[in-house]
Amino acid sequence: MADERESMSPTSIGLGVLWPVCWTGLPIKLAFALLAMAMGLMHFENRLGLAFLMLLTSPVTEFAAPIISMTFDSHFGEGIGIPLLFLLSIPIDIWAFGVVGRTFFLERFRKEPPEGLGLTLWWKSALVGAFFMPLLWFLVSSVTETAISTSHSVAEMESLRFVFGTGLPVAERIGLEVTLWGSVASMVLIVLLTIGVSIIGRIIRNAAATAPPAQENYQGLITRWDLMRVPADQALLLTAFTGAGVVLSLLFWAVLPVTTPHPHECCKKAEAKAQGPFKPVETLNRNEQLIARLAAQVDALEQEKAETGAGKDEKEKGTGKAQSGQETAPPAVTKP
Amino acid sequence: MAHSSVPSDQPTATERFIAFLDARVGLKELQAKMLNEPVPGGSRWAYVFGSVLLFLFFMQAVTGILLMFYYVPTADHAYASTQYIIHEVDYGWFLLGYHFWGSSAMAVCVVAHMSQVFLWGAYKPPRELLWVVGLALFCIVIGFGFTGYLLPWDQRAYWATTVGVEILDKTPVLGDFMARFLKGGPTPGQLTLSRFFVIHVMILPAALMALAGLHLFLFRVAAPAGPFRGTPEEIKAKTDYFFPRQIWKDIVGMATVFAAICGLAFWEPVVLLEEATPDPGDYHPEPEWYFLFYFQLLRLKIFSGEFGQFLGAVALPAVFMVLLVALPFFDKDPERNIFKRPVALISWIVIMVIMALFTVSAVINREFLD
Repeated sequence: MADERESMSPTSIGLGVLWPVCWTGLPIKLAFALLAMAMGLMHFENRLGLAFLMLLTSPVTEFAAPIISMTFDSHFGEGIGIPLLFLLSIPIDIWAFGVVGRTFFLERFRKEPPEGLGLTLWWKSALVGAFFMPLLWFLVSSVTETAISTSHSVAEMESLRFVFGTGLPVAERIGLEVTLWGSVASMVLIVLLTIGVSIIGRIIRNAAATAPPAQENYQGLITRWDLMRVPADQALLLTAFTGAGVVLSLLFWAVLPVTTPHPHECCKKAEAKAQGPFKPVETLNRNEQLIARLAAQVDALEQEKAETGAGKDEKEKGTGKAQSGQETAPPAVTKP
Repeated sequence: MAHSSVPSDQPTATERFIAFLDARVGLKELQAKMLNEPVPGGSRWAYVFGSVLLFLFFMQAVTGILLMFYYVPTADHAYASTQYIIHEVDYGWFLLGYHFWGSSAMAVCVVAHMSQVFLWGAYKPPRELLWVVGLALFCIVIGFGFTGYLLPWDQRAYWATTVGVEILDKTPVLGDFMARFLKGGPTPGQLTLSRFFVIHVMILPAALMALAGLHLFLFRVAAPAGPFRGTPEEIKAKTDYFFPRQIWKDIVGMATVFAAICGLAFWEPVVLLEEATPDPGDYHPEPEWYFLFYFQLLRLKIFSGEFGQFLGAVALPAVFMVLLVALPFFDKDPERNIFKRPVALISWIVIMVIMALFTVSAVINREFLD
């Protein structure tokens, strides 16, 4: 068993620590991410998956994410919430590195974890990530682009056209292309990830090299790391968690939009204009004035009509004498 | 004013109430049975998927009931009522988005749970029945996804169901009957919607509750399998009760999934296409994303023609399901370590790669068609 511990590869050490560290901090980070999304502080277009991966692996992408964004002009979202979230991730990741690192030291190395292990492992991992992740990004992107164009050329080869008569059917062709470029890209990604994890593993192994061995037997060590995770005041922790949960839930419902932020073409709402306050006395006065004005207009119109009618009758009488014997035109139809 | 600091021996009102309940329903015994289950090798994150699935089902039931307050399952009102939920009901868009993405999360978690059981070798004797009931639950989850997809009654829903029922029609003997029963006519219409609605909100939830209860009962009878690695001394040293550590992990898992679903509901809220019509127009029918790999598989030349369609639509999934059901009965090797079961490991990797590969291909194919 001791030999097995001594011969642990840097990759398995790195994986054994990084994997649980990433998942340990995720729930807390997700809660903040959700709030930021609900507040509209950050937006993701079609890169939510990439944003999730960046957040999940924030122990190594803390410094790497802005470098990748600036160097390769490849942002995975927009808004002030993203840098805020990465800043918030720093203490969470340090805590996660501390919990997982101490457990790993006791259980797997059977060594006493040194003081400040979480902080040490975090800054070293973040620093490695700052150099390694942009390199990984660049290499995987370049290889994937080349592999896609090459696989496209392969799928259009004349020999394939000869084999299939009319060329490869669409589904087969797409499947072949995805298999070709996907295999190459995945292989490169896996190799580079293994190298990166192995570097982190070496850092952890170096930190363990100077640590003194733990004295207890296996059962004692398990009890110790188990109790390490149990808070001294459990009631306080439960109250704090419940309180935080209630506050986060209330905040969430407070900032959640009531209607959909993406209305359908059929159901777009007309823009509502705010109406002024209703003042009954002023409205009555205004309406009375309006009615009086309209009544005066009606009277004037009736008078004008009566005068016009009288003048017309007189005119008709005059012309009627001159046109006697001729057929009279029908009266014009007038609106009431 | 002096007051006594001597603790009283008299039980509080809460204690008296709990004692009252305990005397009548055996509360403490129930609590002990529920929480004091030993977990060999201690709690693990890998064990959270079962609890997360229960939580997801509960949330789907809650959001589904809330949606039913407004949804009208008739062909002439289903689309309008869904639009009403999205655009008029307070937080309706979020509830529908949560329900929609919750169904995807159920599909993902059920595959993750099955993968964990498979890789851990936890289907091996004496847990065969547990595995078989789990497979039935998997089919129910898929059924939920299929029947729920039609309910908004837009073009996407209508044509995905049309394609799905046509695939079902290829099944020998029963296929024609099942297709006619589900459609209720030559083309999807009111009867189809009514039947899918009843299956979605009554039959499947009842079946899921019954089978989930049986699954939990069998799980408690067979006891957790524990890790596949480690000496008996190590496993014994780490063995713990279900409460509090595994429950804590389960709660964290549920919170994570809840946050992820809410995030997805924000990122991609449900937006309906045009109302369902028997004319697809420019729309290219395709199923829900977790069926895309299978849909793309059926587009291959090998699965064209009468025999090819039967092979792809019926024989292939039937053989796969039969193999899964029979797995614990022909795999008698007690070895559970996945790294010492190369056939199992390679098979799992191949299936996962095929699913990923054909899903990506389907997305590219969609762009090609557009």
